[in-house]
Amino acid sequence: MSQRTMVVDLDRCIGCKSCEVACKHENGVALGCTWNKVLTVGPTGTYPKLEMYYLPTMCQECKDAPCVKACPTGASYKSKDGVVLVDKEKCIGCQYCMFACPYGVRTFNEETKVVEKCTLCAHLQAAGKQPACVEKCPAGCRFVGDIDDPNSEVARVIKNAGSDSVHVLPDVGNQPSARYILHSKIATWKE
Amino acid sequence: MSIQWPLVFFTLFVGLGCGIFVGSVVLTEWCGKAKQIRTISSSIAIVALGVGGVSSTMHLGHPERMFGALGHPTSGIFMESTMIGLFGLAIIVYLLALRRNASDRTCKVIATIGAVLAVVLAFVNGHAYVIAARPAWNTLILPLLYVASAGVMGCFSLSVLLARTKYADTIATIAVTETAATAETSTTTATTTIKRATLIALAFQAVLLIAYLIHVAVAPYPDITRSVMRVLTGNLALLFWGGVVLLGFLVPTVLMTKFYTKNTESISPLTSVKLSLASVLVAGVAFRALMFLIGSSIKQFF
Repeated sequence: MSQRTMVVDLDRCIGCKSCEVACKHENGVALGCTWNKVLTVGPTGTYPKLEMYYLPTMCQECKDAPCVKACPTGASYKSKDGVVLVDKEKCIGCQYCMFACPYGVRTFNEETKVVEKCTLCAHLQAAGKQPACVEKCPAGCRFVGDIDDPNSEVARVIKNAGSDSVHVLPDVGNQPSARYILHSKIATWKE
Repeated sequence: MSIQWPLVFFTLFVGLGCGIFVGSVVLTEWCGKAKQIRTISSSIAIVALGVGGVSSTMHLGHPERMFGALGHPTSGIFMESTMIGLFGLAIIVYLLALRRNASDRTCKVIATIGAVLAVVLAFVNGHAYVIAARPAWNTLILPLLYVASAGVMGCFSLSVLLARTKYADTIATIAVTETAATAETSTTTATTTIKRATLIALAFQAVLLIAYLIHVAVAPYPDITRSVMRVLTGNLALLFWGGVVLLGFLVPTVLMTKFYTKNTESISPLTSVKLSLASVLVAGVAFRALMFLIGSSIKQFF
């Protein structure tokens, strides 16, 4: 089973938010809507032992996506390669998928009255290109690929990072597939 | 999260409709009391269901695509829509049976089917919010509270109908003494029954509310947005103590006591139960609003 997802190396992220801008520009994301967002975690600790890291957030491409289960019309669905997508022609704008998302990474477009989310730039990947956020990241901290394929770039990046430094957001049975790399020498991962 | 007002009123009116119908069926068909309120209570139930249904469509961005929901039978919206359709149909059939003077047995069977559907609908209404992503909602206590809320609203609505009937009968006494006296006796017995039911529903709701607060306190992934302290002493305290506790329990209990002790010096029985009903309706809104305000997801990134 193929599961395309995103891996973000937080050791490298400089919090420039180029990914946010690139996403907005590439996908024409409306004012007030967000498909990805860079958060600042910290600073925590006491001087001189202070820690801080940047956390780029987006759809976690859950294997057992609760948003897909909650959608009454089948507008939210998983593509053949495991990416969670929204068919805007089927969406009735009930926002139950937003209720069901454990991370609040879906957005309601007030103008078109439908729910939107990160598509991993499926249109670019279909043309053999990288998603806009991956392409434009100046630190090269984003990777996209099939996490179930041991020969993929994301699998290689995760393997090289070491299991202790690979983190995942809280799982309430949804099995998020996105991974974050953060070594303890940079900062301590906050749940 | 922000309060989803269309959903607040959707669940409130649907709960009201379910409560009135179930209460009426138990009182009139099962206990054989105050049968004169069958038509009016069922009519009110279907109107409440309609108002709730209209309210729910106001939450949708594209209600014209609503029939697409028929393709996904496991979703909460499908369950709610189906149950509303079936319950509405049961009420209509029941009203037709009453209109055509069907036998008592036929009416009782139809009414019982409708009552079962109503209880399931009230439960399904709350169950749609049992979501793992929202720790404060992720408990079966929530749908049970929706059922209890429907019961309380139903009991007070029936109290109003009974008080009105009694009032009308008293006027009729002037013209036809014997018939009115019989009707009044029946209504008085029904009033006693509904009093017991109201007290049980209020007690059931109070226990569930405490259980729900305990759930909120011990729910996983604690966060200030959904903490029990925020509800009891924080910025939601006024909504909880004023809206849910005062208006949902204390005010209606005091007013009902006045009604049943026939203390009519300061306030008439009919006014008393009308105020009680208004009070529990506002409390119903307050509880649902509170539910949305503490319904934050595990992480809210955007």
